[in-house]
Amino acid sequence: MIRFQAVQKYYGSYCALSEINASVAKGEVVVVCGPSGSGKSTLIRTVNRLEEIQSGEVLFNGQNVHARLRSAELNRLRSQIGFVFQSFNLFPHLSALDNVVLSPWRVNAVSRAEARDRAMALLERVGLASRALSYPAQLSGGQQQRVAIARALAMEPPAMLFDEPTSALDPEMVGEVLNVMRGLANDGMTMMCVTHEMGFARDVADRVWFMDAGRILETGTPGAFFGNPQHPRAQRFLSDLRSH
Amino acid sequence: MLANAVTIVQDNWLLLLIGQYPNGPLGGLAATLILSVLGIALAFPLSVLVALARLSHWRALQLPATALVYGVRGVPLLMIIFWVYFMFPLLLGVSVPGSATMLCTLVLYEGAFLSEVVRAGIQALPPGQMDAARALGHSYSRAMRFVILPQALTNMLPSILSQFVSTIKDTTLGYVINVPELTFAANQINNRLLTKPFEVFLILALTYYALCFSLTQLAAWLERSIATRRAGPVTQPLVVAQ
Amino acid sequence: MKGFDLAALLLNPQFIAMLGHGLAMTFVVAIGSWLLAMSLAFVLLTIRLTGNRIAEACVAVYISYHRNVPTLVQLMLWYFGIASLLPDALQEWLGDHNAEAIFAIVALGLCQAAYFSEDLRSGLRSIGSGQAEAARALGHSYIGMMRFVLMPQALGNAMPALINHTVSLFKNSSLAMAIGVVELTHAVREVENESFRTFEVYLVATLMYLLCSLAIMAAGTLLGRRGQTAGAH
Repeated sequence: MIRFQAVQKYYGSYCALSEINASVAKGEVVVVCGPSGSGKSTLIRTVNRLEEIQSGEVLFNGQNVHARLRSAELNRLRSQIGFVFQSFNLFPHLSALDNVVLSPWRVNAVSRAEARDRAMALLERVGLASRALSYPAQLSGGQQQRVAIARALAMEPPAMLFDEPTSALDPEMVGEVLNVMRGLANDGMTMMCVTHEMGFARDVADRVWFMDAGRILETGTPGAFFGNPQHPRAQRFLSDLRSH
Repeated sequence: MLANAVTIVQDNWLLLLIGQYPNGPLGGLAATLILSVLGIALAFPLSVLVALARLSHWRALQLPATALVYGVRGVPLLMIIFWVYFMFPLLLGVSVPGSATMLCTLVLYEGAFLSEVVRAGIQALPPGQMDAARALGHSYSRAMRFVILPQALTNMLPSILSQFVSTIKDTTLGYVINVPELTFAANQINNRLLTKPFEVFLILALTYYALCFSLTQLAAWLERSIATRRAGPVTQPLVVAQ
Repeated sequence: MKGFDLAALLLNPQFIAMLGHGLAMTFVVAIGSWLLAMSLAFVLLTIRLTGNRIAEACVAVYISYHRNVPTLVQLMLWYFGIASLLPDALQEWLGDHNAEAIFAIVALGLCQAAYFSEDLRSGLRSIGSGQAEAARALGHSYIGMMRFVLMPQALGNAMPALINHTVSLFKNSSLAMAIGVVELTHAVREVENESFRTFEVYLVATLMYLLCSLAIMAAGTLLGRRGQTAGAH
């Protein structure tokens, strides 16, 4: 579903992504982990072209995301890719319900009534139907992120991308968001997650990619990666994690 | 058209610069500048007092000060000029020249607006400053005088300069009560020439533009240099992450 | 001078009519120039958003001129200066159709457009960058992003500044008297000359101005309560 082929990205002379070759199959859950500055967020942001690349290809459902696309085509492509941000980015001038209703209604031309029904069902699914009319400012971080997930799901995307979805949350709210993500994975959603939550990776991921300095250094099942890391950098990373 | 404009300036530059002095009161650009500088200079102490009154806990001080500021903000400057023009001779018993009326009005008007700037500047300081000063044993007024106001006023310098630019623009209303400032001088020239109104008023507009623009740029530069001084020594930039 | 006698002023239908007409003309000039200023402000903002260097420079010059030249001088330049450059036929037509008010609306409108456009721009800039990213990630087009996500927030953020500048616009209508528009301040002088009730007339007019200004500020507070979202995630 998502394929990276020889992807290279530079910020000026600094190489942010180097020779990335990897793919995410349909229904697969991939967790990308690694130290700060390894390029994990940059990588995931190339999938819906929030970041540009200098060479290589990123394919989503067979379509080259970084080809010369007309803006209408790019918009249509993006509407097919669900993206959840670290800082939620809910629209503060709209209620939770309206946040979820807006894009199916205005981008996918779903009727407003149907969009509303779908939105309420999604808010129910993330456990926030009772807060549908609240504004983001009235919601906690965990609640906002769950609304953000519902907002992305409302577009009925075949795949969901998560860019450090719990890094900006207070510890007691991390669980509620991870539970929603777990539910999505169990329902068969194709997911690519950048996260530091190793417990989640162990339980839910089909594969783990370990990145450092712009390269994918090791991939494997969670069992293999956490139990017996091969690459010395990965070994160091995991032992640093365990030591506190 | 340009040639006309140049000729007009060549023939009338003295009138535009200092009015009909010495055959009359000092006017033109000189009068504009004197009115503006005096206006803002006298308005400043008034504005500090009004700002402190608005911030005080005593209703007797706070209410009149708030009423004054809202009143002045809600009424056109022209209306206030007419009030002062009318009330001044009544209160003083003697007839007052237009310039004095204008100056008095400016002090009142700019003072009210400037007091909002001062108030904002004081409130923008971290409350810890007043706490620290009081903890060291300073009284409220000494804390204000030696800790709060010096800091607030330095921060406000660009805004005060902006208010000065507004004052210069407000002096043009003196024209309506025959105060001999720059706009009045330009109208005198126009009334004499009659055939080149566009050139005359363009010269007037450009003169004000040159004056106000340079002061605005100065204010912007001041704001940047205060911000840099505030930021402290520059550290090595980190490598861009992710 | 006779003693304070408000009744002599308020019970005289002629004086009330004069003040009433003055107030009406004030509203005409204020509302006319506000509509012109707001529309032009959006146009200027759109031009700035295109990213075209030359267009941006032109807008910057426009704004710089209108903010640094006194409003009264701008009025004079329009009514005395630019009017004289217009073709004779147009000048005649304008003369028959209340030229003073038209020039006042044009001059004041163009002037305030500069301030309103800066307010909108600040309002737009104070929105966090994540908002635009989220909108694009959901598949909204540039126009959709502006229409549903950014402009509503920009207007909310800009509300206090817009209200302040609206009050300024309203007060600036009094400047139109200098080019002969018979608005409230002009009417005040006329009634003063005829009735000799200077204090009373000034008082009534001042109260009218104050009431309108405070009404605008109150409307702003009401609208602003829903608006402020600057810096939110």
